[in-house]
Amino acid sequence: MTEALLEVKHLATEFITEQGVARALDDISFHINAGETLGIVGESGCGKSVTSLSIMRLLPRPAGSIVSGEVLLQGQDLTRLAPEEMHHIRGNRIAMIFQEPMTALNPVYRVERQLGETLVLHNPQMSKDEIRAASIRMLKRVGIPAPERRMQEYPHQLSGGMRQRVMIAIALLCEPEILIADEPTTALDVTIQAQILQLLKDLQQETGMAIIFITHDLGVIAEVCDRVLVMYSGRIIEQAEIHTLFDTPLHPYTRGLMNAIPRLDKPAKQVLSTIPGMVPSLFDTPPGCRFQNRCEYAQPQCRATTPPLEGDSDQHQVRCFRFRELMH
Amino acid sequence: MTQYFIRRLLLIVPTFIGITILVFVITRFVPGGPIERMIAEVQQAAMQGGAGTMQSTTSGIGGATLDEDQIRQLEQYYGFDKPVLVSYWDWLIKVVQFDLGVSTRYSEPVWDTIRERLPVSAFYGITTMLITYFISIPLGYLKAIRHNSHFDHASSVVVFIGYAIPSYVVGIILLVVFASNLEWFPMGGFYGDDFDDLESKWEQAADVFYHAALPLMAYVAGSFAVMTFMMKNALMDNLAADYVRTAIAKGMPFREAITRHAMRNSLIPIATHFGNNISVIIGGSFLIEKIFNIDGLGLLGYESIVERDYPIVMGVLVISAILQLVGNILSDICVAVVDPRVQFR
Ligand SMILES: Nc1ncnc2c1ncn2[C@@H]1O[C@H](COP(=O)(O)OP(=O)(O)O)[C@@H](O)[C@H]1O
Ligand SMILES: [Mg+2]
Repeated sequence: MTEALLEVKHLATEFITEQGVARALDDISFHINAGETLGIVGESGCGKSVTSLSIMRLLPRPAGSIVSGEVLLQGQDLTRLAPEEMHHIRGNRIAMIFQEPMTALNPVYRVERQLGETLVLHNPQMSKDEIRAASIRMLKRVGIPAPERRMQEYPHQLSGGMRQRVMIAIALLCEPEILIADEPTTALDVTIQAQILQLLKDLQQETGMAIIFITHDLGVIAEVCDRVLVMYSGRIIEQAEIHTLFDTPLHPYTRGLMNAIPRLDKPAKQVLSTIPGMVPSLFDTPPGCRFQNRCEYAQPQCRATTPPLEGDSDQHQVRCFRFRELMH
Repeated sequence: MTQYFIRRLLLIVPTFIGITILVFVITRFVPGGPIERMIAEVQQAAMQGGAGTMQSTTSGIGGATLDEDQIRQLEQYYGFDKPVLVSYWDWLIKVVQFDLGVSTRYSEPVWDTIRERLPVSAFYGITTMLITYFISIPLGYLKAIRHNSHFDHASSVVVFIGYAIPSYVVGIILLVVFASNLEWFPMGGFYGDDFDDLESKWEQAADVFYHAALPLMAYVAGSFAVMTFMMKNALMDNLAADYVRTAIAKGMPFREAITRHAMRNSLIPIATHFGNNISVIIGGSFLIEKIFNIDGLGLLGYESIVERDYPIVMGVLVISAILQLVGNILSDICVAVVDPRVQFR
């Protein structure tokens, strides 16, 4: 087996809040290979964004911090890097785009400056003209018409979709090995959403970068991902190749999520099922399996001990005591 | 944009007329006007004269007042014989020709008096503003990036004291401690009596600042608290903004993300503040000018109201109204310059 591009091992992240310490991530382990798209899915609040911020070391300080675990980028542990070394990783080797294209760009600077900034940071030898040319080329690549003119505009003059394209352009300027996209289409219209997803797929084909695609929408996952992590309350509860996951979901929670998606191949009148109950707050997580209080199959064992994540990480892993019995 | 500002400039005219007409009418009906004062003065003089010689008491006190004819002459002189709007119109026509009339107290053209006082207040105002920015922006910056630190808490105490104590009280305390008791600084005035004898410009400037030290401290104490908190809060908001996170995600060091991104956006409210305060900045504070005996515009306006010197009252009003109106427009221009999202139509 070749070394993974990025490997996260037993990562735990905590926030110090007024109510106490909240463990937002608990024993997160996964990997991503070059050129692959890894989806991370789960309900809002399950820790998807915290996972990406932990990898980038962008956790809000001083409240949030990684308390244990490793984040290995080609074998180099990012959690141990000095802050200055991290500056060369961010935007250069791992880039990130965010959910809100409305606020992610600085309202008082022109597009040109916000693009050029990244190149100046990582390629100080480039001349002004080279930076300008590279920026225009990149805007063209992300499908922005009349890029020369757009360069001179301010973010508020662009539509939401255009702004997200600008964000993608900024992220890709230094040809990162990994792009982390945290709900990049959630704030956009459905048609724009489809365009942005297509754009990301095309750009991945051209550059061979790996993408970590975060969403709460399994439909979007189905469109773009090769492999998927399902998260619940700060833990990974299932991990599988995309077709495997959709064909044979093992965890009761994953199945619940699947049933919550409307399907074209089922009668339209069928009522969408939802998972009863609420995601537990980080301050009163149930003992044992975190899903046990909402799980119709829960047994005393589930309430007593945390089930291990079983299986091969390249194929199918699940964190449930009863998945074998429930498979049929 | 240009159109917008042209419209705003044109709007100055009706606003200006509105303000001045209001005050003009008030001066007409407030008791204790210049004629009444003159009558009172004559009476007083007559009484003292009567008490002194004990002779001309036959006609009584009533005889010592002005007669009908004299009063009519005075009314004519002040324009009180005509309907109020007519005499307002006469006044306005003169103002447009830069003629603000003659002070009843100093018998000098109002315009000359104001021209003498304005630079004094403006000197204090502008120096105060510069010092305030010089203190508040770095202090607000440090407080924001060290939010909740010992430094933040300790400096907040000072800022709150500055906020809670009115600047004229600070002025009085400074005066008592540093001028009266310790005698480190002069008691007041804009410059010393030997100002004209001083050799060089440098010595003259030093003399002005020597006299200005205490009043400037009082002015700054009154204004730096609000500005410091404004700076801190704006910067805190912007530090948490998504685009700062974007900048760091690009690989920018945290400090640079603050200075290049968060600071720039935090100056927007400060810029707005500047234009709105311009009339206060230049007009001066009559309380501080009174405490430190500075012959500025604030003190002039105050005294002329007390003395019912209406030409000066109106003159000071004209200047401060124009400053305020122009200041508002300047403020809009500042905002448009620093914030490209602002579109004036
Ligand atoms: N700055 C913070 N302070 C305290 N708790 C936080 C903070 N950010 C996130 N959390 C907690 O971490 C958990 C995961 O959040 P997040 O990763 O943002 O969820 P999502 O999966 O919707 O992206 C949430 O329960 C949230 O309460
Ligand atoms: Mg999120």
